[in-house]
Amino acid sequence: MKERQYLQVYQKVTRLISMVLDHQQVMDVVVRELPELLDIDAATIRLLDGSTNNFVLGAAHGLSLEYLSRSMIDTEETMEMIRSGQPVARSGIGQGQELSERDLAAREGIRSVLTLPILFQDALIGILRLLTRSERVFSEEEVSFSMALAEQVGIAISNGRMFKDMESQVDFMREVQEISALVNSTLDLDLTLNSMVEKLPSCMGAKGCTIRLLKSQKNHLELVAAHGLSQGYLDRGRIEGEKNISRALRGEMVSVYDVAHDDRIDFGAEMAAEGICSLLSVPLKVGGEVIGVIRVLMDVHHSFTSTEIKFAETVAEIGGTAIQNARTYRKITLLFNQLEESERFVANILNCIRPQLLVVDRDMRLVLANHALLEAVGRSEAEVLGMNYHELWNHDDCQVDQCPVNRVLSDGEPSTYTHQIMKEDGVHWIERTASPMHDREGLVEYVIEIIRDVTAKRRFEEEQLERVKLQGVVELAGTVAHEINTPLFAALGTAQLLEDDIEGSDARNEVATIVRNLRTIGDLTAKMTRMTGFESRDYVGDTKIVDLK
Amino acid sequence: MAEILALDDVQDATILIGKILRKKGHAVHTFTEEDDAVAHARKNHVDLAILDIKLKKMSGLEVLALLKELQPEMQALMLTGYPTIETAREAISLGANEYCVKPIDRDELEDKVEKILARAGRDEK
Repeated sequence: MKERQYLQVYQKVTRLISMVLDHQQVMDVVVRELPELLDIDAATIRLLDGSTNNFVLGAAHGLSLEYLSRSMIDTEETMEMIRSGQPVARSGIGQGQELSERDLAAREGIRSVLTLPILFQDALIGILRLLTRSERVFSEEEVSFSMALAEQVGIAISNGRMFKDMESQVDFMREVQEISALVNSTLDLDLTLNSMVEKLPSCMGAKGCTIRLLKSQKNHLELVAAHGLSQGYLDRGRIEGEKNISRALRGEMVSVYDVAHDDRIDFGAEMAAEGICSLLSVPLKVGGEVIGVIRVLMDVHHSFTSTEIKFAETVAEIGGTAIQNARTYRKITLLFNQLEESERFVANILNCIRPQLLVVDRDMRLVLANHALLEAVGRSEAEVLGMNYHELWNHDDCQVDQCPVNRVLSDGEPSTYTHQIMKEDGVHWIERTASPMHDREGLVEYVIEIIRDVTAKRRFEEEQLERVKLQGVVELAGTVAHEINTPLFAALGTAQLLEDDIEGSDARNEVATIVRNLRTIGDLTAKMTRMTGFESRDYVGDTKIVDLK
Repeated sequence: MAEILALDDVQDATILIGKILRKKGHAVHTFTEEDDAVAHARKNHVDLAILDIKLKKMSGLEVLALLKELQPEMQALMLTGYPTIETAREAISLGANEYCVKPIDRDELEDKVEKILARAGRDEK
């Protein structure tokens, strides 16, 4: 008869728990229905939190909140038995127990408790407690039956968890896909980070989320994105000292079930005021190096499942990739800007220099031309780039056999060629200097040609030469005149004195001839001392003489 | 009659100057060495010095400066075979009365000497 009753209860429980898929609903149904079915006063289910090895309340019926909130669930001895998978039936609660528990149990009126391990595949996942307010000794059959029920509950909870996990996994996959797509579609880091802090809580049923990145100064975290949290909470102070943060910065995942009573949290009061009950700290990594922390904050007590943790970890990896991409993009952009700036600077220099400048490749195609050259040939840059070098010039401008570019391409050595061209204002001297640019193998890859109008320089050099020549002639003339003038003065004066003393017209005439010719020499030396220029004049054969000016 | 000192590195030139001016009644002391000319001026009064610019050891301008230190009232006529603006300007600044370019005519020399001495005589009075 009793076995039949047990079977009916078992069937009912099985039916009940098979109708719901959510493990929370399973737990709620079990604790609500079991008291009536087993003729007991209350029931609780507590689940094992793997991260802290504590049992956290999953569902309860027939008990006060004060009783449920007690710190100690049962005696150490009982908990030890439970952990080893053995049920423990106790009666006479309140006699011989520790004072606090005795008081609480007495206040609650609890007299007997059957504590059962909830197992799934031989692993302890929680405890089921059946409580009575009247003295009751649980028989062996009742304990066995309750164990079978607890096992069913374990299966149902695990199934519910698995179902919930699968559901979550599908949701998480979708979210991961969305975040990945966003990361791939944008290089806007702020947009990506903000999207992450919005999507993580909505997907995990969390209150909010924060992302903090390590600043260049060691161990200083900067809040870069937040969602679902008040500014007052975010401004509560530095959190680098919190154990959950330091562990996350060492690369560990940290799940905290009860932030208000966990030594891994420093701001428990602020969190409680913000309505935060549980949190998950996830390291944000780039290439194996932790660069920050993502924290998911729950407003209900929550034991994070491995799927949730994996999801948060995956999102953190994506975040790391996004940050890396954005940093790489910033670097590339910076380098590109620097490159562009350098290119503009060099182009500016080339365009500002007066000589014409061009660069040709091995095939004699123009790859660069400065403004001076474009102006000289009267063409645009678009027209000349890619053009054959020799098509750029008139044949007279640069004869192929003399062309320095050809020479550089054949000899690999710098070459200079100077030639004349006729312009409206006369003959101009053009100097063309070509220099090689070698590749890694030492072959000429490009030739740089600089074309300068050196007419003014040539004219200046010629004038300089003329000046030197004139200076020499003038100095020579001066010296000659000086050396002649003194003896001439002596000769002329003496001849003039002789005129006074001499008698006879013939002799006087002859002295007068001497005087006249000495004066002519005097005129010539005077001209020589005053000369400022000369003109060459043919004399006899190849000999030339000068006319003094 | 004036006491005239003539200094030129070419002896024929000093002889000629001496002959021309002695005929005009002046006492002419001719030198080809700068030191001798300066030594003469230390001991004797000189009314007029006729100095070539180019000498053996010193320039005529340096000798002029020395003579002017010895006899500030002395008149001076500079002769040169190679006139330049610089030497002319310096000669005038050192107190030379005339700056003549060789070859100078006998008449021109006589004329310039007379004018210098006459001007000096007027200045003394």
